[in-house]
Amino acid sequence: MQRKPSSLALGLVAAAFVGQAALQGGTIFGTWEKNYSPGKGQLVSGGLSPDQMLFALSGFREMVAGILWVRADAFFDSGNYDAILPIIRLVTLLDPNEIDVYATGMWHIGYNFTDEEQRSDRRYIPSALALGKEGAAKNPNTYELFFETGWMWYHKIDDDYENAVSWFEKAKLRDDMLPARKDLLSMAYQRAGRVDDGLQNYYGLYDDASAVYKKDKAFGNHQHMDTIENNIDTMLVRMVQRGYEAEKQGRPLDGYDANPPFDVGFSVKATVLEPRVIRFEGTWNVLPVGTRIRVVLKDQDFKNAEPAGMKWDFSDNVNLDPPKNETFMQDQLYVKNRRFNRKVDMSKDPTMYPFTGQDYVMEFFYNPRSAPPHIQDKFSWNGEGMTDKNFLNTNVRPGQRVMYTTLKLTRDMILRRGEWQDRVPVIKTTNYQETGTTKQDEDVILNVPSLRGN
Amino acid sequence: MRPILSIASTTVGEAIRRRVLLIILLIGVLFLAVAPGLGVLSARSETTVLRGMMLGIIQLTSAVIAIVLTVYMLPNEIERRTIYTILSKPVQRWQFLVGKYLGAVSALAIMMCLMSVVMVLMYWYQQHAPISEIANLLKAPMMYFVQMSLLAAVAVMFSTFVSPLVNFFLSGGLYLVGSLFNPFFETLSSNNNTPAFTKTVAKFINLVLPNFANYNVQNPIINPQQTIGNETQYFINVTVYGVLYILGLLVVGILIFDRREV
Amino acid sequence: MAAAIQTTKLTKSYNSRSGKVNVVDHLDLHVEEGEIFGFLGPNGAGKTTTIKMLLGIIYPSFGEGYVLGKEIGDMDVHRLISYVPERPYYYEHMTGLELLKFYGSLFGINDPALFERLLEKVNLHRDKDKTISQYSKGMQQRIGLAQSLLNDPKLLFLDEPTGGLDPIAHREIRDLILSFRDEGRTVFISSHELSEVELICNRVAIINKGVIARQGKLTDLLRGGRIEVTVDGFESAEAFLKALPLKDTNVRTLPSGFLLDMPELEDTSSVIDSIRGAKGKILSIVPRKKRLEDLFVETVSSKQPSKTITVEESAGANQ
Repeated sequence: MQRKPSSLALGLVAAAFVGQAALQGGTIFGTWEKNYSPGKGQLVSGGLSPDQMLFALSGFREMVAGILWVRADAFFDSGNYDAILPIIRLVTLLDPNEIDVYATGMWHIGYNFTDEEQRSDRRYIPSALALGKEGAAKNPNTYELFFETGWMWYHKIDDDYENAVSWFEKAKLRDDMLPARKDLLSMAYQRAGRVDDGLQNYYGLYDDASAVYKKDKAFGNHQHMDTIENNIDTMLVRMVQRGYEAEKQGRPLDGYDANPPFDVGFSVKATVLEPRVIRFEGTWNVLPVGTRIRVVLKDQDFKNAEPAGMKWDFSDNVNLDPPKNETFMQDQLYVKNRRFNRKVDMSKDPTMYPFTGQDYVMEFFYNPRSAPPHIQDKFSWNGEGMTDKNFLNTNVRPGQRVMYTTLKLTRDMILRRGEWQDRVPVIKTTNYQETGTTKQDEDVILNVPSLRGN
Repeated sequence: MRPILSIASTTVGEAIRRRVLLIILLIGVLFLAVAPGLGVLSARSETTVLRGMMLGIIQLTSAVIAIVLTVYMLPNEIERRTIYTILSKPVQRWQFLVGKYLGAVSALAIMMCLMSVVMVLMYWYQQHAPISEIANLLKAPMMYFVQMSLLAAVAVMFSTFVSPLVNFFLSGGLYLVGSLFNPFFETLSSNNNTPAFTKTVAKFINLVLPNFANYNVQNPIINPQQTIGNETQYFINVTVYGVLYILGLLVVGILIFDRREV
Repeated sequence: MAAAIQTTKLTKSYNSRSGKVNVVDHLDLHVEEGEIFGFLGPNGAGKTTTIKMLLGIIYPSFGEGYVLGKEIGDMDVHRLISYVPERPYYYEHMTGLELLKFYGSLFGINDPALFERLLEKVNLHRDKDKTISQYSKGMQQRIGLAQSLLNDPKLLFLDEPTGGLDPIAHREIRDLILSFRDEGRTVFISSHELSEVELICNRVAIINKGVIARQGKLTDLLRGGRIEVTVDGFESAEAFLKALPLKDTNVRTLPSGFLLDMPELEDTSSVIDSIRGAKGKILSIVPRKKRLEDLFVETVSSKQPSKTITVEESAGANQ
């Protein structure tokens, strides 16, 4: 007694399958494709989707990492950086050998979190460095993450070059380090004030490059040799010009180099125009363009603080969620015609500038080591050619002559509350004079000597 | 109808006492409860990650529950001979199968509700979000429920002719493929270099496979800037799709089960 | 009387590696209404397979069968029958009462008074709120019998109803089954516990390797015992035998005389008359009844049941 399927049942099955296929092919897939498919700019997702998690749990970690990374690419295109960060962290956790992800992640964390006026959120830099340290530790056989971490110090932090030097030195030890990138170590030595070491590095590189050229007379190899030769040339000239050689030989410095030190005459006035909006005006007697004075506004009791900055690599943890109650604003005051005038608007980014503490400190800082070469030609590497009647400081950066001063502010002033609701807070250095009260011709104008003559 | 409901409610009673399921559920709930604390994964987009993670946990847990719940349902009845007592009563086989399926789906609904409540509580506690935002968040578990009902129907259909272990991998595999095939197909069809034959085959598979990916609507919910063009219409479409598919699977299951020697 | 169960050449075969195997082979079964029918056979003889076919849970490969006058598989019949499977398992999370409610609902029955009455009948009314997981095996079997009575069935199938139970539970179950018969129900018992069946069944069928070896009234099947007559007053055994018109007879010499062992079917009274005529002295007449166990062993151990032996002597029982 075999049972035959009833035609009703078969009809039902047929109808159901035709119906679902029609729906899927007809409308659903079209809308799905528009709304949910990965790869479209509009797509946003946090973390792993269950299927990816399944893969991850079942041991396809690298595969998931790859998929995620491809996915994150779409977010870069659409500028959705917030979505990328957790992906980067996940990818590096899943597959610690994704060098590109570490590198991109560092760059992203270090550079891409900005406020409305493109100021970096520097509270993330310790995390970026931590990611670099982690990546370097997990991938010790390649130079890349050592180099990238060094670059973060060299270019982004742009203050403490000894750290850049030590990372570049580590990178140089790896076999796969690109020869051209080794040049950067010499630059870092210079900025760290270790000019001799820079020169020695160049010499070593030149020997290497000429050995390579001897073996293979390719044009590129010759070019590389030439480049190093040029760099050595320039460096030697500067060493003479900036009085480095004279100082070493015990000769008196003269007008050609960094003597006598030039008074930059810094003064500043900070005005809280509106809540969280501050205008900085002031003077800097250097006429050639290229001067950027650092201004930092941070909590007076900012954790891990350092003069005009913070202990950038205080942490080994990649913390993608830095303290929400700390404020750290860092900006540059560009000098033009010996004056600067910059409005800093912090009102649009309350998460970046929470202003939860009571007291704040404004720091003004100028370090000749970050200055462009034509200014360094007068100030030299360590600021030998620079002074400031009021604010020269030789303590905050040992072995360097820098300009450094602080002014204090309260929360009420910044937020224009309490007694400051109707009064405009104006904080200034004692030497600040309103525009028009100084006679222009009384000013001393810096005349930077150049190789081409005046 | 009466026997179906009786069998369904008995199935629910049995399912919510099954230790394996309760352990899976407990793990899911625990993960939900600690989700806000998994700070390593959160960035400035903390809310985004929290939402995504919680929905992901619910979806994964529900899928495991749906499969484990259904693959053993028929074999257990046969092994413990309870099915004979029932089938010797005036109960048709289709009634038995439908009752079992409805019971499984109801048990699933109860467990998913529990997880959703935990999710809402944790979310509320963490974010102090307004009601409208939470209601929006709940759309995802609702769609997951349709998805899991479809998955349960797949497993029930297979359970009429394969052993539980084989069924586990069959249903689980189909769930994976069905979840991944949509993006795969999308990539394939938008690529101009794909041969026409491959495209046709892919299109055919796309039409035939249960497309679990249709129900993964979490992306716009996790990120409120995103919206679905016509949300209501989409939800209706995919629900009807699911119901049709479930219907088809159940009838196939009944046809096989009717012929089956138990 | 009408037949409660009637099958003709009912066959179930499975494909195995060595070819087609008939688990149940051309079964002609006949069960009358109102009797307790014992369906006997060793493990694996095809008992449960037959019951499942009769219930429509599995489908016959060949032949036909009627239960309560309807072809097997007819859903209407399921309202009138009940089945208690071998060593049953019930949903453990339910209490006794809930179990009855659940099975009742499958019939559309929701009658609290009926549930109470059935629980009382199987002596579980004090344990109705315990869950099945707390029940002993005997209690589980009894709640099974209670659920089988929910629809007031005309025909009950009980598969090994006393399997794995202790003697007291045996007795409880036995009494319940007898009460079913007294209520006018037909009871179909499959068992390999012969002493039980012997005590309660009217008719039996013995199935072995899928084939019915014996079927009939228990009294008829057990006919064919022997009678032992102890006699004194004869010189020798030869002299004694000469006096009697017997064929299949053994004579043994006892200290007190001679033991005559003869088939029950012989004409006992004429033998006794002959003994008396020869001036013999009859010391005792002991009938040695055949036991079901003897019959069973005899039937099952005969290696190849060459043909079906049916003892059908009750009038009008055949079609």
